[in-house]
Amino acid sequence: MKIEGWLFIAGFIFYALISAAYFILSQDLVGTTLLLFTGLLAIICGFYVLFTSKRVYPRPEDRRDGNIDEADPEYGFFSPHSWWPLAVGFAVFVLVLGFIFAAWMFAFGILLVLIASAGWLFEYYYGDFAH
Amino acid sequence: MTILAEPPQDSPDLVPPRETGEPWEPKSDFRLGRTIVNWLTSTDHKVIGYLYLIQSFVFFLIAGIMALIIRAELTSPGLQFVSLEQYNQLFTMHGTIMLFLFATPLFVGLGNAIMPLQIGAPDVAFPRLNMLGYWLFFFGGLIVSLSLLTPQGAAAFGWTAYAPLSDGVFSPGVGGDMWLMGLAMGGLGTILGAVNFITTIFCMRAPGMTMFRMPMFTWTVFVTSILVLFAFPLLAAALIVLEVDRKFGTVVFAADNGGAILWQHLFWFFGHPEVYILALPFFGVASEILPVFSRKPLFGYKGLVFATIAIAGLSVAVWAHHMYVTGAVYLPFFALMTMLIAVPTGVKFFNWVGTMWKGSLSFETPMLFTLGFMATFLFGGLTGVILASPPLDFPVSDSYFVVAHFHYTVFGTVVFLMFAAYYYWWPKWTGRKMNETLGKWQFWLLFIGFQVTFLIQHWLGVKGMPRRYGEYLPSDGFTEMNVISTVGSVMVALSTVFFLINVVHTWRKAPMVGVDDPWGFGGSLEWATSCPPPRHNFKSLPKIRSERPAFDLHYPDIKHKTGGEQVVGHFADAVGAPPGDTKTEPGEGTDK
Ligand code: HEM
Ligand SMILES: [Cu+2]
Repeated sequence: MKIEGWLFIAGFIFYALISAAYFILSQDLVGTTLLLFTGLLAIICGFYVLFTSKRVYPRPEDRRDGNIDEADPEYGFFSPHSWWPLAVGFAVFVLVLGFIFAAWMFAFGILLVLIASAGWLFEYYYGDFAH
Repeated sequence: MTILAEPPQDSPDLVPPRETGEPWEPKSDFRLGRTIVNWLTSTDHKVIGYLYLIQSFVFFLIAGIMALIIRAELTSPGLQFVSLEQYNQLFTMHGTIMLFLFATPLFVGLGNAIMPLQIGAPDVAFPRLNMLGYWLFFFGGLIVSLSLLTPQGAAAFGWTAYAPLSDGVFSPGVGGDMWLMGLAMGGLGTILGAVNFITTIFCMRAPGMTMFRMPMFTWTVFVTSILVLFAFPLLAAALIVLEVDRKFGTVVFAADNGGAILWQHLFWFFGHPEVYILALPFFGVASEILPVFSRKPLFGYKGLVFATIAIAGLSVAVWAHHMYVTGAVYLPFFALMTMLIAVPTGVKFFNWVGTMWKGSLSFETPMLFTLGFMATFLFGGLTGVILASPPLDFPVSDSYFVVAHFHYTVFGTVVFLMFAAYYYWWPKWTGRKMNETLGKWQFWLLFIGFQVTFLIQHWLGVKGMPRRYGEYLPSDGFTEMNVISTVGSVMVALSTVFFLINVVHTWRKAPMVGVDDPWGFGGSLEWATSCPPPRHNFKSLPKIRSERPAFDLHYPDIKHKTGGEQVVGHFADAVGAPPGDTKTEPGEGTDK
């Protein structure tokens, strides 16, 4: 996980330096802010990844001699198929159209988004693949 | 809970025989209704990838037809087919659809269809989120497209939506609102796709697949996804704020408090990274194809990785080269940064040429398209350096010179390498190789047609023809050059017809390839599973000891110089398998 983290940290260092140089040269606040915030976004990600990497042993995929059978047999759960992405997508569609065309439709869209998100969240709490 | 929490799908008749290499046909128990439901509810990254690819190709055709109408209109002076207002809508929607609904989703589609295979993952990290990203793109794109049917027509303020032109006074009508909100929605889908890609690459690589063994295409998908995280949230925010300006009368982008320049800053801080979001993954495609058809490992793998990172890093700091003529930006900084980008780009070209150098080249269709890309993009890069220099940019800014420049870059990468990728990976996705003869016809028509359409536009621009104008005067002297350009665009259109014919032909007539690696020299992991791959991608994974695990598996006795440790031992009897006939024996290469 180390390389992944350092990539983001490098981004932070680069944008911090660039935004400082840019501010000194141009005194343009908009561009300086944009560059600086890009750097901050990078360090949020980089810090989290590096922090995590300190707390785990190098994973088989981080080691040049990792073997296939070292992979965790409990690999994780993969949703086999699901209607909920379509439901949430359609709900957002109604919401956005509502924003453009009519307040009542917008309100209805919010309701749909809530229902669809709940369905998504609880999909695997019951039924065939409950876990 | 195991990873295969699904009803068994791979009935024996549907699984390609990997041992025999003989032609076979999947037994068809096709039922339309079931297939549609399977696709609508799919969480399989491959199916989602195909949905993206199909959808983006439809948008490519729609925006291409708009381009043809534009070209037809410009063939002779004055107005023939469309009004000036319609012309504005046409170029706005052409640019918008090409960039946001064709090229960007094409990246997400290719990433989905290939990247998990290349890192040896059974799926992506967030399968349902992945599908949600597709639906947001689908419905967002639908909103943008439906704006064409509204009474006042679609947005007509250019794909850049400069304020105050795009505000509620100068661009009334619901088309603009649909444009803004539809793109914001689609952008949200792109962000979800990027988060999913990054997490997948961080957490789901096969053991032994270290970061510096990932194929170049996967690297570019990864770096591009980070750029998406930098750029797209900003775009979505800016679009929504502009919409609030239009709807509720706020004045964030009002001209009298500097809103015009503020919009340009925000838009281009997204817009320039966006063009690299479009370019980088396709550079990755080129880096995959060149070694296979040069029969050599990629030259300077690490150099290419760092060049990719450097391009991405720099691309965030050059945005105001689109704003030279505003007179409101600090020119030397942006000129310098822009020219710096030429350095890592040059490294890429150097490494690609190095890969081909003294290789045993062959010119199948994917290779042809890749070479077509290299020629075209090189030229676009050179005119880019011209435009990066403010004194040279001022006279040609907003002229056809710029139109020519960005088509050389964006068409050169996205379209040429899209077709390269389709020809290259078609057998992996469908099990059938596309027709080479039709492919070569398509390539030459497209290549010549493209150059005829756009080369001449450089001179049009120098002569003074502005972009975004629907008419000109006979006395301007633009007519001949415009006629030539239109003739070229007809050739481009024709080449696309060849592609569609090829798709149908391949689907009906071509035999199944029946081997893992129909090109014979594939290096990355997608060539170590069947064509097409099973639901969770791999029945077995080879040992990963270099950047080219599939090559190591198929040619165990060749020790190559890409930093890989030689894989020895129980693969020995695959030695000597003739190229094109390599296949994985069951049980071999497996450590499971
Ligand atoms: C089918 C071949 C194509 C032809 C014949 C074509 C033609 C044109 C023409 C003539 C214009 C200028 C319109 C004007 O300024 O009045 C234009 C603009 C543009 N094109 Fe294309 N184009 C093609 C493909 C593409 C592709 C593949 C992309 C991107 C992936 C693209 C992106 C753009 C953009 C962004 C604009 C600027 C729109 C604006 O000014 O707002 N085009 N195209
Ligand atoms: Cu730019």
